[in-house]
Amino acid sequence: MTTLTETRVDEMSFTSPKPKRRIPWGSIVSAILLSLGAVVMIAPFMWIIQAAFGETARAFVLPPRWLPANPSLENFESVFEQVPYGMFMFNSVKIAVIVTLGQLITCSTAAYAFARLEFRGKNVLFMLLISALMIPGQVTLVPLFIVMRQLGLYNTHAALILPALINPFGVFLLRQFFMTIPKDLEDAARVDGANVFTIYWRIILPLSGPILTTLAILTFVTMWNSYFLPLIMINDPELQVLTVGLTLLRGQYGAGALGPIAAALAMAIVPVLVVFLMLQKYIIKSIVSTGIKG
Amino acid sequence: MSEQIMTVRSLKRREAMAAYAFILPTLLGFLVFVVGPMLASFALSLFDWNLLTPPEYVGLANWEKLFSDARVGGIYVNTLRLSLMVVFSNMTFGLLFAILLDSKLPVLIRNFFRISYFFPYVVSAVAVSLIWTFLFNRDLGPLNYYLGLLGVDSRINWLNSSQWSPLAIVIADVWKNVGFYILVFLGGMQAISRDFYEAAEVDGANTWQKFRNITLPLLSPTILFLLVISIIGALQIFEQPQILTSGGPGDATRTIVLYIYEQGFKFFDMGYAATLAISLFAIILVLTIIQFRLSRRWVFYQ
Repeated sequence: MTTLTETRVDEMSFTSPKPKRRIPWGSIVSAILLSLGAVVMIAPFMWIIQAAFGETARAFVLPPRWLPANPSLENFESVFEQVPYGMFMFNSVKIAVIVTLGQLITCSTAAYAFARLEFRGKNVLFMLLISALMIPGQVTLVPLFIVMRQLGLYNTHAALILPALINPFGVFLLRQFFMTIPKDLEDAARVDGANVFTIYWRIILPLSGPILTTLAILTFVTMWNSYFLPLIMINDPELQVLTVGLTLLRGQYGAGALGPIAAALAMAIVPVLVVFLMLQKYIIKSIVSTGIKG
Repeated sequence: MSEQIMTVRSLKRREAMAAYAFILPTLLGFLVFVVGPMLASFALSLFDWNLLTPPEYVGLANWEKLFSDARVGGIYVNTLRLSLMVVFSNMTFGLLFAILLDSKLPVLIRNFFRISYFFPYVVSAVAVSLIWTFLFNRDLGPLNYYLGLLGVDSRINWLNSSQWSPLAIVIADVWKNVGFYILVFLGGMQAISRDFYEAAEVDGANTWQKFRNITLPLLSPTILFLLVISIIGALQIFEQPQILTSGGPGDATRTIVLYIYEQGFKFFDMGYAATLAISLFAIILVLTIIQFRLSRRWVFYQ
């Protein structure tokens, strides 16, 4: 084997003429296209940020600016004057955190039961839960709105949190992972007298860090970006979340007021960017591997 | 002996009890927030209800209205056309850029591209739509300005003409979502064994032949998967038209979900909104089934 390879190398280096240095047109074109694509992706953010830090009256000028002429914070000030922006932010964080933590519990307990425990109706219940994945969220919004009104939860955060606590996809995702954990570990613990809850809490969860992280990321991103439900469920601006809050600002100024809306957008996007840059490996992997479509 | 059987039995019962306790939150929430509303949609479609006066049973009147509502057909056609445009553009650009990224690039540069293409995907559709509202501005927007520099008619009425507004929504959607498609395609490509390419090279295949005969067929499961989730997702587009164009001009960019929202929460016609929602559900269900049937014919697995 070794001799064969050596002979070949010898042949190559002695008999074949030196390859001509060719211009790698393919790589050049692909580098240009990739860079052009990156400019298209990044430029809109840059433009919004310069508008945020510019003067309100001169936000919309031609040719487009890429750095503010006279940097100022007046756009930010006027955002806080017009809408309870701090509350929007607080509400969004609060709801996303509660739902994420809540789903980690509800999904993992249900997933553990479906993966490992024996009980009557298990398969039927699981199939029923999974078939719910075929129901598009938007379809049940009208009756969900009515249910929340009947429960007296209209215009409360509970109306956003409670329905989000169940996630059939999350249950499915975790169940698939739990089934790959060797059963011997549990059997050994059971012999030592561990009950179901101890096994779930002390063995299954500690072994499931990566998949729980994936679920947490997916849930947080989904909740942070959710718009339709808060739009119909929340009426009080003080209780509103950031997504709907941004559109309220547009109502205050009219669609043409770039400056303040840019400031609000910058404040909404920059924290997301920071978190994204820190966790990009996990975030990209979580979203791409599960195929969550926003 | 019988004592042992008793213990086994009681152990089993205890396990089942624990299991029910474990699934209780999900089950309860599922019944109240998914199954209940789903069944309620069907019931609601038989009533006329504006939330203020008591609901009134109207039989199939909402369904008759659905089939005689001159706008519904047009809105469905627009939704479908918009969805196909969105899906086709995302798939094409996604595949193209995945191919470009699937070459030998320094790690740092590849990561830079990955991050810049993917980041808009995690930004809310609301923020993206607001950004593009300004970029699309006819007189002062940067897009028309730079198009003007390229010699294109620089006064395109992106958001207020029935010719351009669907394209505006497609552009904003591709900008937001294409990174997801790129990375899913890239994942699919990297899962293809290098052996196939090496064998093809031995046989003297060129780049196009390798793409056509190896990459594309072996990527077909990925393509199908993306097709299913993106068509279903695209049929439910809401934020982009609501914020960018409010569905206009006329019904040019009014999607079915936007119409459901307007019927339900602007005109408070709950029965009709539920009826429209069921029609959308039926269409999505049929599409899912058709796509899975078709997939048997043209999907190749490695």
